[in-house]
Amino acid sequence: MSEAVEALAARKPVRFPREMLIVLVLLALLWEVLSWLVPPFIIPGWGRIFGSLVQLRLDYVVVTLARVAAALIISFVLGLALAVAMYLRTAVENYLRPAVRLLMAVPVVCWILFSVLWFKWVEFRIAFVLVVVCAPVFLVDMLDGMKGVPRALRDMLRSFRPSRTHFFTKLILPAIAPAILTSWKINLSLAIRVVTIAELVGAVSGIGYGLVVAQELFSVADVFAWTLILVIILFLAEAVLTRIEERMLRWRA
Amino acid sequence: MTHAADIEVSGLRKQFQQTGTGLPVLAIDRLDFRIAAGDMVAIVGQTGCGKSTFLNLLIGLDRPSQGQITIAGRTPYDDFDHFRGVLAPVFQEDRLLPWRSALDNVRLPLELLGRERGEQIKRAGLWLERLGLAGYEGAYPHELSGGMRQRVALARAFVIDPALLLADEAFGHLDEVTSAALRRTFVDLARTEGNTAVVVTHQLEEAIELGGRILVFGKPGRILADINLATYPAAMLPRLRSDIQQMLQTNAPISEITQLTEKERR
Repeated sequence: MSEAVEALAARKPVRFPREMLIVLVLLALLWEVLSWLVPPFIIPGWGRIFGSLVQLRLDYVVVTLARVAAALIISFVLGLALAVAMYLRTAVENYLRPAVRLLMAVPVVCWILFSVLWFKWVEFRIAFVLVVVCAPVFLVDMLDGMKGVPRALRDMLRSFRPSRTHFFTKLILPAIAPAILTSWKINLSLAIRVVTIAELVGAVSGIGYGLVVAQELFSVADVFAWTLILVIILFLAEAVLTRIEERMLRWRA
Repeated sequence: MTHAADIEVSGLRKQFQQTGTGLPVLAIDRLDFRIAAGDMVAIVGQTGCGKSTFLNLLIGLDRPSQGQITIAGRTPYDDFDHFRGVLAPVFQEDRLLPWRSALDNVRLPLELLGRERGEQIKRAGLWLERLGLAGYEGAYPHELSGGMRQRVALARAFVIDPALLLADEAFGHLDEVTSAALRRTFVDLARTEGNTAVVVTHQLEEAIELGGRILVFGKPGRILADINLATYPAAMLPRLRSDIQQMLQTNAPISEITQLTEKERR
């Protein structure tokens, strides 16, 4: 049993991301040096950017995050429901697959224009664009994950006669947890980029709208400050998801 | 003590369509036999003789093309849900859920039966202890050796006190020492608990060691011999072993072999 004892002793502790921190500090230093060499309306220094940061309407950050969170939750629930339906019924899959492929082939900019042309209510426009872009990603990733569950495990569980609910809750959903988490990571960064563009075009609040205002005022420092906020949001969200992933998938070798 | 189940197999035939060509492939030609409640039966045969197909039919994962199987009077494929908590399989690979600890894997069938959580944990813990895995309750499958994982799979099967235990090449892929130890554990537990047990194997020695009844399968899926080891004196075992080996090689019933031997003598 020594093999097992070694494996138990080898469980890895969470590691501090030292290399990432070094790279970020080096890039920040490089940025500061460049800001000394070129005019501030091209590359503003950190002093100017932080000056802008304290003056920005940070409630816009909350608005954007709320839009992203709501749309991702709707997209996930919709994607999961459709993936389950497609997994259970081949006919449903045969009809829905082409429609999903079609949705995924339409460029994001076109969806934004369609939503502006079709819908009047701003929040609905943004939610529509985010859901139509993110839900298919969740759906395809989860459906592929479901289909990838080994037959050996499906047969093992079926031998014990699970109910349909148990079949999903005890086997399929835990088995596709890695695919779900990867999907969330992809969609999170996608949603933040898409919401910013959607807000640029058709909103009167949010980070995208803040960027429009900064551009109209020709405030380069504000543009960089908003960009910095977006990058920080993405980094934090990814760090949170990675932490969740480490906790949820600690069973992986 | 469990209520063991008897098995009745009559006119069983299973035909598949070959993937790609669509041509029919006969996996089981005709099977007729009965297994009494509480019996331990080893099905031995070469690869491709329909042993695993038969086990899948017995579990209820597949339906026969003709004939039927009844377990305690009900068919496992038609009355699928009736067999919840009645039969438990042990497969060649442990088939543990990798995201569940050893304890959680063992209590899985109890969860499906809707048993109370406290009872699940207590019973699963007791079975792990019985199989020599006390202290490994929280270990994930990847943290255990092959033999330990198969012990967890055994505990998962025994935990529901099934009327029928089914093992598909469950011990053959492990090293000899571990395999023999697990086989002994399986036989002892099945006898103590009084389960009907069907063990599928391609290893003749394994079938003999199980010490019950041996059904020798030939290709395609038919019985070459039905041997009750209890009726053979120990001195006859070497002869029996060589007869079965010859049957497996020639794919012919034992009577034909006997006739052949007599003819050769003349």
